[in-house]
Amino acid sequence: MNGSKDERAALLRWYPPAWRERYGEELVVLMEDYSDEQRPTLKVKLSLVWAGLRERVHESGLVGVQPSPVERARAGSLLVLCAWTAFVLAGASFSKASEHFAQALPVASRAIPEGAFDVVVALGIMGVTLVVLGAVATFPAFVQFVRVGGWSSIRRYVLRASVFTVVTVGAVILLSVWAHHLNEFQRNGGDGLYSWVLAAWALLAAATLAQWTAAGVVAARTIDLTRRVLHFEAILAVAVAGTMVVITAATALWWGAVAKDAPWFLEGTASGTSPSPFNVQLALTMALMLVVLLVAAYGVVRVAHSWTGLRPA
Amino acid sequence: MLILTSLAAGPKHGHALAKDIEEFAGVCLGPGALYGAITRLEERGLIEPLKTDDRRRPYRITATGSAALAGVVADMRQIADVGASRLGLTLGTLA
Repeated sequence: MNGSKDERAALLRWYPPAWRERYGEELVVLMEDYSDEQRPTLKVKLSLVWAGLRERVHESGLVGVQPSPVERARAGSLLVLCAWTAFVLAGASFSKASEHFAQALPVASRAIPEGAFDVVVALGIMGVTLVVLGAVATFPAFVQFVRVGGWSSIRRYVLRASVFTVVTVGAVILLSVWAHHLNEFQRNGGDGLYSWVLAAWALLAAATLAQWTAAGVVAARTIDLTRRVLHFEAILAVAVAGTMVVITAATALWWGAVAKDAPWFLEGTASGTSPSPFNVQLALTMALMLVVLLVAAYGVVRVAHSWTGLRPA
Repeated sequence: MLILTSLAAGPKHGHALAKDIEEFAGVCLGPGALYGAITRLEERGLIEPLKTDDRRRPYRITATGSAALAGVVADMRQIADVGASRLGLTLGTLA
């Protein structure tokens, strides 16, 4: 019977710690009552996994009307931050796909795509600035958090992110040395092995970004932020979401303009050889941008719902 | 609604709640769904736990919970009355 006890305890791990503390024992007893000391059935297991995940989402402040305005604003702002991280990856992909595009266009047709590209770059810098401002605003509270012993709760996340950073930086140094020995054709898809290693590095860089975001989210969920700071973070979150909307629109405009005047650039073929404006990388980039925009929009809705209760007196 | 209706008859712990609900409504609530609902109802102050030394903690409906249940029952009765009158049924006991 110890096996079924262990199994019940394992199922509780799907729930957030605070919930387990309050209801865990009661739920274990209820499972015992349901299954008469037998192992929980697959249906019961799945329903508990689903319920546990729902409790975790609920606890994060991402759903429900019950969390306080402070928690809703915090959750909404952090969701926008996560969306921005994914958006940065889409931006990096766009940057790679649009390399040297101006050279492929007739001089008379460059104004719109170049303008759209400049908007993407300018808004990208603005978005990064807003995110940095958000981090700076939380810094005093973070210092206080560390002083009262909060470091232990985020240490493993920061250490993991630091290890990823060291590996990513080391890998890019090696890649740069390798690239130095290749010609332009080999660097741009001509060398299969280099292309695969570069793609693997891109995944590693994305994972590093995700690790730092996770560390930031864990810290921001734990730090005691004042209403004034949270109000500021909420404003920044809405502004960041706004930059994402404009960047996505500018990217679509850029694609449309280049597709009209230089579709061969998008296919990576010689000038004038292909009328197809389709590009897999760009299509995936746009899809990622749109999905991430939806996530950010949900974050903004959560922030908006907390607005009245959050405003500093 | 189901949990509040069950607790309106008196305090119950999780398993007793599930059995009662299955009996009067024919709905079989799994442990995950039942405790998810209990969590939300307690958050809203509609039910409250009772102190006990037993591992099975009973819950009871609060005054707010009774008022909320009464409101829902009144709404449902109004809809049932309209439906019954339009179908030409006599539901005198509901009046």
